[in-house]
Amino acid sequence: MKITDPQILNNLKEKGLKKLLPGKPRIAVGMGNCGIGNGSQELYLAFSKILQKKKIDISLVKVGCFGFCSQEPLVNIYIPGKPLIILNKVLSKDAEKIINNIDKEEFLLKKSLCKIEKWDHLTSQIHYGEGFNEIPHWNEISFFKGQKKIVLRNCGLINPEDIEEYIAVGGYSTLYNVLKGLTPEKVVEEVKNSKLRGRGGAGFPTGIKWEIMRKVVSDKKYIICNAHEGDPGTFVNRSEIESDPHMLLEGMAIGAFAVGADEGIIYIHTESPLPVERLKNAIQQAKNYGLLGENILNSGFNFDIHIVESGGAFICGEETALFESIEGKIGKPRIKPPFPAQKGVYDKPTNINNVETWCNVPVIVAKGGNWFAEIGTVNSGGTKVFSLVGKIENKGLIEVPLGTSLKTVVYNIGSGKSKNIKSVEIGGPAGGCIPQKFFNTILDYESIAKLGVILGSGEMVIMDKDDCMVDVARFFVEFNASESCGKCVPCREGLYQVFKIINSITKGKATEDDLKQLENLCNVIKDTAFCGLGQAGVNPVLTTLQYFRNEYEEHIKEKRCQAGICKNLYLSPCENSCPLHMNIPGFLEMYEENRNEESFESILQDNPFPAVTGRVCHHPCEARCRRTDIDEPVLQREVHRWIADSIYEKGKDKIIFKKILENKLPSTGKKVAIVGAGPAGLTAGFYLVRLGHSVTIYDSKPFAGGMLRIIPEYRLPQNVLEREIQFIKKLGVKFVFNTKIGINKSLEQLEKEHNAIFLAIGAHKNIALDIPGEDLKGVLPGIKFLEDIAVGKKPAIGKKIVIIGGGNVAIDAARTSVRLGSEVTIAYRREKDDMPANKEEIEEAKIEGIKFIFLSAPGAIIGDEKGKVREIELTRMVPGEFDSSGRRKPMPTEETYKLSCDTVIFAIGERVDSEFIKKFGIKTRDNGAVEVNNFTLQTNNPRIYVGGDITTGPATLTEAMSAGKKAAKSMDMQLTGKDRFDLLFKKFTYKNIVPVEPRGGKRQQVKKLSRKGRKGNFKEVSLGFSDIKAKIESSRCLRCDVEENRVRS
Amino acid sequence: MKDISKNKLSQSVDKIISKYHGKPGAILGILKEIQERNKYKYLQKEILEYVAKKIRVPISKIYSIATFYAFFNLEPQGEHSVIVCRGTACHTRGSKNILDFIKKTLDIEKLSEEKTSFTTRDKKFTIKSLACFGQCALAPVMSIDGNIHSHITQQKVKKLIKHI
Repeated sequence: MKITDPQILNNLKEKGLKKLLPGKPRIAVGMGNCGIGNGSQELYLAFSKILQKKKIDISLVKVGCFGFCSQEPLVNIYIPGKPLIILNKVLSKDAEKIINNIDKEEFLLKKSLCKIEKWDHLTSQIHYGEGFNEIPHWNEISFFKGQKKIVLRNCGLINPEDIEEYIAVGGYSTLYNVLKGLTPEKVVEEVKNSKLRGRGGAGFPTGIKWEIMRKVVSDKKYIICNAHEGDPGTFVNRSEIESDPHMLLEGMAIGAFAVGADEGIIYIHTESPLPVERLKNAIQQAKNYGLLGENILNSGFNFDIHIVESGGAFICGEETALFESIEGKIGKPRIKPPFPAQKGVYDKPTNINNVETWCNVPVIVAKGGNWFAEIGTVNSGGTKVFSLVGKIENKGLIEVPLGTSLKTVVYNIGSGKSKNIKSVEIGGPAGGCIPQKFFNTILDYESIAKLGVILGSGEMVIMDKDDCMVDVARFFVEFNASESCGKCVPCREGLYQVFKIINSITKGKATEDDLKQLENLCNVIKDTAFCGLGQAGVNPVLTTLQYFRNEYEEHIKEKRCQAGICKNLYLSPCENSCPLHMNIPGFLEMYEENRNEESFESILQDNPFPAVTGRVCHHPCEARCRRTDIDEPVLQREVHRWIADSIYEKGKDKIIFKKILENKLPSTGKKVAIVGAGPAGLTAGFYLVRLGHSVTIYDSKPFAGGMLRIIPEYRLPQNVLEREIQFIKKLGVKFVFNTKIGINKSLEQLEKEHNAIFLAIGAHKNIALDIPGEDLKGVLPGIKFLEDIAVGKKPAIGKKIVIIGGGNVAIDAARTSVRLGSEVTIAYRREKDDMPANKEEIEEAKIEGIKFIFLSAPGAIIGDEKGKVREIELTRMVPGEFDSSGRRKPMPTEETYKLSCDTVIFAIGERVDSEFIKKFGIKTRDNGAVEVNNFTLQTNNPRIYVGGDITTGPATLTEAMSAGKKAAKSMDMQLTGKDRFDLLFKKFTYKNIVPVEPRGGKRQQVKKLSRKGRKGNFKEVSLGFSDIKAKIESSRCLRCDVEENRVRS
Repeated sequence: MKDISKNKLSQSVDKIISKYHGKPGAILGILKEIQERNKYKYLQKEILEYVAKKIRVPISKIYSIATFYAFFNLEPQGEHSVIVCRGTACHTRGSKNILDFIKKTLDIEKLSEEKTSFTTRDKKFTIKSLACFGQCALAPVMSIDGNIHSHITQQKVKKLIKHI
């Protein structure tokens, strides 16, 4: 029945409203692409079956996507007079329960995600009802807070397969008003005022485009909707069509009227059948009601829409290629000018816009252009829909006003919790990656363009440290290269060559020259390609080169992929994450084969402190272990601790060490000085002396070990440390103690006496509390406290201790104090998950009775009449904005409180004491850390190398050791002119059989001292493995290293 | 499997051609429908020649279109279609490894990286990749015979393929 007058339209509206707000319950199942992918079709059938069988009078309907894809399937429950409730992650087996309890508030409360009391469809309002006070409003949920639904206003709420529901919420009333009361020029004016810009990515002002088109004189004009969403990883336009197809049709009808066209073509991507189906259905319905076709709404205006399904060529998203495709040719772009408004499809004037652009039109005309322009920024009105996916909690379709910051999207809407979030990819294959430091940037065309990226059609993928930026670039270039139409050389040949170079980089086969050529090539293609695919197709490479050049350099110079993605550049995820790159699967395999000595040798050649690290390493290997996907990660660290302990116990180390001593390379005659006998210095010495150099290590203390010495006995017994240090002495490294460089001996002298110097003095300067009362008796720096304990001094502490800090030093101080009989509370200014200390240390501290208070920062320490600590005043903090560490910055509140105590130990971080280095002309940064070439570890003085905490600030044991190893290799290359480092490494052969089924069962438990057994003593708490346990644990390894095509073995 | 007789076939092709007559994107529509109706989902050479004659477009042009657009197959497809999503989100969740794993499992000869579709020798499976299924929140995603499977792992793939 055709709509010819307002009364009919009104009747249909009433009819639709009765469906949306029936006099009985209504169940609406989310049947967008994401819902279906999550099982909503089965869910819908389940509901349908039960309702039919039990003959219950509940309305069941399909709706589109409400946006929260990671919570699908979503189900809306409507009870007359009550707020609309949205249930999440509903399974087919829940269907019966839901039907039975549909009006029971407690049930709904438990399963609900949020509620809607009233909804502004912009072209009308729907009032559901009030109540359910415990259920949050939809826009109180983190995912929806900050969103503004204009394009998506109907999605997930109305049935996309029923035109009457669209009419019920005001649909087609705008078209009616336009045809009855507005001139085409007026419509164009509204669109101009709205500052709507092309949502396909280019951002050209739509109003101006329409104005040009309006003025063209022609017997025939076309409008086209570019629904060819070919970007890998975007589902924005698709969802818009699936969930609310009529919005697009109404927008196009209004647009056709405005520009003077009578025929519209929707060019849609063939890959997804659902949007095509829903669109065809909608067009048919619109035709039936006389909203499309001849004499629409009895106004004399004719407009018809055809659908053309593309054949699946990405290039056809480019407007002129799209025209070619419609005309029955292959999609090769045409030259511009002429522009589409002059000569478009079939050589007729054509106005082509993206799906989302058309979808905004009814709202703009209904509410007025000025209303729309108020939302967004000065240059761009309205909102943008993004598909937000990647390494965040909340994934789905979001709609935010232009001008929203990336930070808000990533951390608030996306609820990105990981501190490892590194970048966001925007714009798909024509876009690029924006690094975390620029997350303050707002989302609008100009701001994003300034960073060299385009806003695009809505793709937004959040990436973290497990994503390799080189691989991301490779991914997009591969796509672009394969989609090249072939017309022009720069794109056809050039993109393929770009791909070849990046591919070789990911395989570790590229050189620095290749990098230069890559950049050059990309710039040439950008300048000379015929169309946007080529010109923008190199953006992923150029932006990653600009912001993540270090990753490219690591792939090339060090043949390493830190993210662990480029398979040719690492053995296994555990080996890749180990700062020392120990061949973990190798030593585990050899131990299983009962080749204990060889296993130990294999460990030792990469790690001169196997027993020490076996106790205190922060084990990044475990975090990357693939066994986690099956049950729990392998305890690699515990195994190599056991291997070392048992070898030492049986005395088998003597022969191995003898071999190493004998295999020292002949003397080079070069002298190397190492300043600092900590792990970095000791490790450098271990390698340098075996390479044949004469090595002297200087330290200001009377003993070697650095920060290792102050790790408490219950974690690291002194004799374990001493034994492994002794070996380095036995290798021929000379030690000069009680000598502080810069005071007892100058750096100048050192430079005269040696060929190269490695500065590894660490970071020891305690950061002061800088609060009133810090000079009172009983306030101790954490490191000094631990140092005293280590040398057997009795530090002056009381019975009630408050420790400020959240790192390992704080925990060490706490667990030590408890053993000395004190009551301990740790106060940390951020939240529990933000603590940098090892998780297991925190757990042990809890077991030992240490109390933790979070979000509390020290304000002042108050003393008694004698000047001794009496209490500490703490300020309550609240988590604020995310800072550069990826954690929320603690913000002080007005609230303070006091804790009585007699001792305050502070461990809030350390700085590098680099004054004497600076005086020598070495460049340092603001925090004192020394500037270094990350690949050679040289300072601006080529004979002086640095590594460890001195360059990174306080970091971990194995990172420091790794720096020592790297420095040794680098120094040896400079001293001898040859790359001989590999001579120190023996190759082991062992079985390379991947277990067909995972072996070993659940993870082995490490025996620990009971809480009672620890009281009042410093006995080692972790008792480690046994031979059997270690063998079983080793068998749990999945041998991720067994694959083809390795660069290293 | 024999197709219906040439006469019947040319009749149905004629119907398709007239259905799209005068419509925008006609050739795309015609070829698509012909392919869909074919049991092995591909465009036979003889049919292309017939269409070219019927709609008075040079066969070279028809061939150009059939080879330009990824949707069209010039070789018979396998009985079962396995499609792995290679969108950005799926890629960052390891879809490339899944694709390689499937190729290994189904024992497909090592073809150059540029080939986009692989059919097993026994014509049971055709493996393709797709730019994006639009299920990014459920990455990695693949479809078997039109049914979408999400959060896939190598273990899941093994099971699913065994079941076919």
